[in-house]
Amino acid sequence: MNSIASPFLESEPLASQRTGATGEPVLCVESVSKTYGTHRVLENITFQMQAGEVIAIIGPSGSGKSTLLRCINQLEPPNEGKVTIGGVTIDAGRAPSRRDLVALRRKIGMVFQSFNLFPHLSVLRNVSLAQERTMGRSRKEADVRSMDLLARVGLADKASQYPARCSGGQQQRIAIARALALEPEIMLFDEPTSALDPELGLEVLAVMKELALSGMTMIVVTHEMHFAENVSDRVILMAEGHILEEGPSAEIMRAPKTERAAKFLSAVRDR
Amino acid sequence: MIMDLTAILNGVPWTIALTLASFIVGAALGLPLCAMRLSTIGALRFTSTAIVVSCRSIPPIVWLFFVFFGIGNGLIAMSPFTAAVVGLGVVTAANMSEIYRGALTAIHPGQFEAAKVLNLTRSQQFRDVVLPQLTRIALPSGATYLIGLLKDSAVASTIGVTDLAYQSYHISQQTFRGLSVYAAAALLYILLSLPIAWLSRWADVQLRSRVSR
Repeated sequence: MNSIASPFLESEPLASQRTGATGEPVLCVESVSKTYGTHRVLENITFQMQAGEVIAIIGPSGSGKSTLLRCINQLEPPNEGKVTIGGVTIDAGRAPSRRDLVALRRKIGMVFQSFNLFPHLSVLRNVSLAQERTMGRSRKEADVRSMDLLARVGLADKASQYPARCSGGQQQRIAIARALALEPEIMLFDEPTSALDPELGLEVLAVMKELALSGMTMIVVTHEMHFAENVSDRVILMAEGHILEEGPSAEIMRAPKTERAAKFLSAVRDR
Repeated sequence: MIMDLTAILNGVPWTIALTLASFIVGAALGLPLCAMRLSTIGALRFTSTAIVVSCRSIPPIVWLFFVFFGIGNGLIAMSPFTAAVVGLGVVTAANMSEIYRGALTAIHPGQFEAAKVLNLTRSQQFRDVVLPQLTRIALPSGATYLIGLLKDSAVASTIGVTDLAYQSYHISQQTFRGLSVYAAAALLYILLSLPIAWLSRWADVQLRSRVSR
């Protein structure tokens, strides 16, 4: 069962089917701020996350959603605040050591909007490479694991192909397999379906839904309102670098408290 | 006539050796030069830029004279061949570093981010992700430069490297058959550059077929 006590959650079949562990927060984001020059992109962002939870971050373009995700794994170092994942804390006040960064990123898998598969490597090598380099697995062990994961995302038959021969939806599923191969504690998805046409986006969303059901802790920056409402446990709605609203998905999606949130939700639903 | 042609052909191995040696030196030295150029440390960036700009603005023949008659005269004794490899190698390094820099900007920024979030070390990022893509992108410009270098290597004849140009000059002086001698030399330069062009095109097609649909 999920740890979030909410009357709405019981009515969510997907959330309640999940088997994620509970207890200590797996991720703590404390007062994170990010500034580019004089432009404040993130303003004092604070939230926590339990293991097995799925959070959707939604909001208008330029609201800081992607930047928040990138601050969590330090692709963009925050200017202020702390990020803690599984006992590793990166404090913006001090320059993080290489060791801390590695320890943090070991726990995080990331999926990008533009897939970012390595074009010069076969699909199988894409999934195996980092396992060999960072987990000390032999090529054979890594390939066995990679084939399992490719089968899980429905692409075992593409193993020997190069990414350019795969559709966008297939490439994104390979990218998910590549991230899962390193056994992260938490998966970050940065608009994983935004570069895909709707049909291809669906096959990626199906994989993500399966992943959520298996108990993976996930943060998904998305414009897919259906995913936010029906798959995620919690929604964080951002605007102008702030968290505008945060709470159980059904609550935020069906009954937003602020006018700004209501306006955004009605705009995206009318599409 | 056959004797003359044999004499000219004697220069071919030197032309090939000089071209390949200075290209290998330049292609290797170009990498650290390019890395310095992109460094966050100002002093390194300045040094690299200074080297690149001066190497590219000074004519190769002046470089060769500077190395052979300047440095080679008293400071470090060098054979003409060594001096030519050093001189042309440095010029090649400067140009290759610019070719690498251009190729690096052609690599999608997401590639570096993906390598980073997969926790590859910096050397792994370079070896497994950047270098293979860099090679593919830099290959056509590199091959064009190599063909240019093959032709430019003729300046080494001025400091006494017994290459194709050197041999042709001496045979024409001895036989007064400048037309046929230099025509033969020209033909040989063409024959030498064609395989480079073919090889680079073939390699380009091979590498490209994987990354495009």
